[in-house]
Amino acid sequence: MAHLSDGTLRRMVDDPDADTGADKRHLETCADCQARYSTVSGDAGAIASLMTAPELKVDVASAFNRVRSAPSARPRFGFRLPVVRPGSRPFVLGFATAVAAIALLVTAIAQDSNTFTPQTLTPVPVTMADMESLSQLSAYGTISWTKQPQPQIVTSADEAHTISGLPVPKVASLPTGVSSTVTYAAMGQATAVFTFSTAKAAAAAAQAGKTLPALPAGIDGAKLTVTVGPAVAEIYGNISKPAAGSDITQANLPQLIVGETTAPVATSSQVTVVQFENYLLSQPGISPELKAAIKAIGDPSTTLPIPIPVQFATSSTITIQGVQGLALGDNTGVGAGVIWIKHGVVYGVIGTIKRDDAVDIANHLT
Amino acid sequence: MATSRTDDESFEALFRAEYARVAGIANRVLMDQHEAEDVAQEVFVDFHRLHSASAQYAPAWLHRAAAHSALNRLRGSRRRQKREVAQAAEANDRIVDPQKLFEASEDRRQVREALARLAPKPAAVLVLRASGLSYAEVAQALGVGIGQVGTLLRRAEAALRKEVTSGTSL
Repeated sequence: MAHLSDGTLRRMVDDPDADTGADKRHLETCADCQARYSTVSGDAGAIASLMTAPELKVDVASAFNRVRSAPSARPRFGFRLPVVRPGSRPFVLGFATAVAAIALLVTAIAQDSNTFTPQTLTPVPVTMADMESLSQLSAYGTISWTKQPQPQIVTSADEAHTISGLPVPKVASLPTGVSSTVTYAAMGQATAVFTFSTAKAAAAAAQAGKTLPALPAGIDGAKLTVTVGPAVAEIYGNISKPAAGSDITQANLPQLIVGETTAPVATSSQVTVVQFENYLLSQPGISPELKAAIKAIGDPSTTLPIPIPVQFATSSTITIQGVQGLALGDNTGVGAGVIWIKHGVVYGVIGTIKRDDAVDIANHLT
Repeated sequence: MATSRTDDESFEALFRAEYARVAGIANRVLMDQHEAEDVAQEVFVDFHRLHSASAQYAPAWLHRAAAHSALNRLRGSRRRQKREVAQAAEANDRIVDPQKLFEASEDRRQVREALARLAPKPAAVLVLRASGLSYAEVAQALGVGIGQVGTLLRRAEAALRKEVTSGTSL
């Protein structure tokens, strides 16, 4: 008979009676397996003693009372959108700057005009390193919201409409497996102003041990104004934050999000946008892919770049409701989405669904 | 609502049946009653929000979640080391052989550090087994066949032993 596996030997350590007769007989006569059994048994004993823990005395009744009061003490939708969570504010500001920077960049490329009216979309693959590098720009000046983003979770389409002023999209039919539990999120218009400060930028770069790329003349005090929203979204499926301490992959993510928002508008003062583009793209840490993608935007005055994490960047152009859109992801059901822009409004259908289902929902959205 | 009452009752029964064990799993990792109970309560709240208490998989889900949540907390906590040194010092005041106790405490600290460095599955198998779960219960919690538990456990013990050894100056 073949030698016993480590797993079998390990189980025999825990439960000598559980082994089969044949295994036991083999062990009795096989010097090799006996030696391995001895190692396995020694390790098991050593680990058992290392894994001892102080005895726990629990009061189940009072623990139950604490737990029972916990969920009801929370609001019905006991989470806040990440954008308003106070703890994440520095990241949000960084992210807002990054998005503002990209939007401004595109605006800037439009040269003569400093506003733009996007009609088509283009995917811009971003990496975490890109986002981090762009986030650093928030240390290069001050961001202030002249109109704070105030996303709200509401329970009816009517409330969402009242807050956003946008018609709430209606899904004709949900793919199999997507919960019909729906939550609405809505927000009014928000405006952020980023004021560039040469002094702050120099200090931030020095602190990070990096050399600041050469600054365009006149950038000190330049203002970038970005207006986003209003926006409205329908969120299907259970929503919850992950258990404290658990990693993000265990978060219970919504199965499907259908959203629409007025295309963001960026305006700038003092800097020429080409200068700004060159400056942004010269930041250390910006990937060549992002540089190439930004440079490749065909008609920047009418194209809205959609930042997409690089690992999800399988995208293709597709016609949705008679206009050009972007389809992301595949048909495995792991994750897919469709984004399109029509009459100055950006629409998105994204979820843990098949790409074909996302396209179907998008085409039948009313 | 009749159905929710039934579910609340099932949840209470589940809580009473499993709380001590779920807290025990977390305590095995964190070695701190307060933190362990924190983890246990979070795990139950999360379960209750998303699952039916009468689900067959409930105990297995709770055991797994307790192990992973506690391990995540361990990985994220750099304060742990400080606290354990403080605890060891405090314990030293109370016992007859401080040197011996300090050594035991030092071993436990090292083993928790090593545990935090293991991959999630081997770490969980060690914690669950050390918490007294049977092979069948460990298999259910980790979603593996019962025949694999011995192999997983053996590999995990060898890996932990290696980590503990490499983590010491010996």
